[in-house]
Amino acid sequence: MAAPFSYRLAQEIAACFSMHKVRYLFLGKSGAIILGFPDTTQDAVLFVERSSENSRALVSALVEMGFPLDAQRQEEILQGKDFVQIREGPFDLDLVFAPDGIERFEDAARRALVVEGLPVCHLDDIIRSKEEAGRVKDQEVLPRLRAFRDWWWERQSQGASGARE
Amino acid sequence: MRKFEVQTDRESAQYQEWIRDFEAAARRSLKQRMDYSFIRTYKPVLDDEGFRAFQTMEDYRRWCESCLPSWLGYGRSV
Repeated sequence: MAAPFSYRLAQEIAACFSMHKVRYLFLGKSGAIILGFPDTTQDAVLFVERSSENSRALVSALVEMGFPLDAQRQEEILQGKDFVQIREGPFDLDLVFAPDGIERFEDAARRALVVEGLPVCHLDDIIRSKEEAGRVKDQEVLPRLRAFRDWWWERQSQGASGARE
Repeated sequence: MRKFEVQTDRESAQYQEWIRDFEAAARRSLKQRMDYSFIRTYKPVLDDEGFRAFQTMEDYRRWCESCLPSWLGYGRSV
């Protein structure tokens, strides 16, 4: 079983993806946690820009990080699937190329925040994607996540630091 | 879909407890928050394949609903 995701692994993603020029954002509960949401989750979820250049960069970065991507798996990523789930390698990883509720990567990137080098979708986008996905586990977390967004906005308006848009 | 009745009125005890949680988390470093938040438990079926790719999100959602145990919460109903 892979190790749980951690701050160290997130920083490794940031360094490796930056080196390979991968365009991505943390999404889902993993993104909310980076923004300060106190909860638990199992997987890192990355919203990755869908383009052939970015997919090639992504594959190179994942291989360098130790994910066992043979030629067939690499091809599946390069083909531009909407969702890729990896459960072998240094940690569990979900790659989303077309998240529910977010039309274009560019729009999400414009609204994104960066926390200690980690690019994260805005809470509004995280909430919208969960609303649209409509899974039971999303419905369960949404009331608390919306409360966190409201608290977070109030705190930001009072000048709290920690993330930059 | 199952309905979740959660009291989110700002005056409610539940809401105030959440705020206390948020404030406590804000006093921790990002490293502490992340290292506390990510856990690893085995999820049947989901964790039994090393790699899956879905052409569309709808394909993925359908697979979740038809193949995963409903109690994992990946479907739109339990």
